[in-house]
Amino acid sequence: MSVKLEPIVGRYTSFDIEGKRCRVYFEEAGSGIPLVCLHTAGADNRQYQHLMNDPEVTSKFRVIAFDMPWHGKSYPPAGFQDTEYRLSTSLYVETIMSFCRALELERPVVMGCSIGGRITLQLAHLHSDQFRALIGIEAADHQEPWYDTSWLHRGDVHGGEVCAALVSGLVAPQSPEVHRHETLWQYMQGGPGIFKGDLYFYRVDSDLRGKLTGIRTDLCPLYLLTGEYDFSCTPEDTIRTAQSIPGAKVTVMKECGHFPMSENPVRFREYLLPVLKEIAG
Amino acid sequence: MTGSQTAAGAQLLQRFRARAISFSKPRLFSADILVQFADVPVIVRVRDGSVTEIVEHRVPLQSSDFSIKGTSEGWTKFWQSMPPAGWHDIFALNKRKEFSIEGNLQPLMAHLQYVKDLLACARESIK
Repeated sequence: MSVKLEPIVGRYTSFDIEGKRCRVYFEEAGSGIPLVCLHTAGADNRQYQHLMNDPEVTSKFRVIAFDMPWHGKSYPPAGFQDTEYRLSTSLYVETIMSFCRALELERPVVMGCSIGGRITLQLAHLHSDQFRALIGIEAADHQEPWYDTSWLHRGDVHGGEVCAALVSGLVAPQSPEVHRHETLWQYMQGGPGIFKGDLYFYRVDSDLRGKLTGIRTDLCPLYLLTGEYDFSCTPEDTIRTAQSIPGAKVTVMKECGHFPMSENPVRFREYLLPVLKEIAG
Repeated sequence: MTGSQTAAGAQLLQRFRARAISFSKPRLFSADILVQFADVPVIVRVRDGSVTEIVEHRVPLQSSDFSIKGTSEGWTKFWQSMPPAGWHDIFALNKRKEFSIEGNLQPLMAHLQYVKDLLACARESIK
């Protein structure tokens, strides 16, 4: 074969999540410490493809990114047509734990962005003994809403277009055009109402203020990285959150927005590599 | 109205008008948008994806579909080639109360990226 193949491999697996069989698509690259990556609301695992193509990461980490059910190449569970998708805190935790069990991952590192960042806080609170480290990107215990999510799913507004246009302002102006528009394309391709359903978790069901007691960062380090251009989860939101968690480490990423691994992978790795190096020891 | 705000608004409008009057995208979108620069409101008429007219909003009870009003500082920073964090998007500016977005928002949301690009067209080019 004369063309160069990327090291990323995609597979499907099936397992139960809260009693429902789910066929889940995931991609992976590398070997070593398992690093499970969680995509943002309304998007999919393509956000981590740059990371999976980075030999400095994959030489020490087995990077695994799955599409949550209802997202990307993972279908909704059977019978979905009669339900409204709503992600809850408990369903999100169970989805992650079920995936890690299904792949028999031993104390993986979990890294998530946005809703994926928020849930790492809950994982730290509930299950820190089961993870080697947790990395929350654009993560906070709470943030102020900046628009009405009912715009995301209604008959007279194209869902994909409005989702992308809304989040376009969360991409930093310094991010390369090609990556900006790839990131927005992910939002244009989401299923109807899925971004809104994810934001049920974010806006309604996961106000973690005052609920993050007992986090043992000495047993499971917690890293929080937030882009300076993120006006949804602001650096101030992340810093406030970290101040309530002894031992949590905060980095504000210059010239990054809400999707650093996808919108500006070169800049993001400058901040992520030292964290991964510390975790690898 | 204050004299300084009106003068600042007039300058901002002049800058916007120079770029926006030729703004066009292939999109079936028509609306009358009230855009306000400091103290200076105008109606931006869009027909079938093209800006056709930018007229002063002086007559009482003049109709518009929705409005986007911004402070002088808000527009000035928004139009920097690399706007500072928190001043780089109309919703970031709305969140920090430098912009207000009001009216019937359905046409705005249905054509949001178009409107965002139109309002940003006066941004300085990167040197």
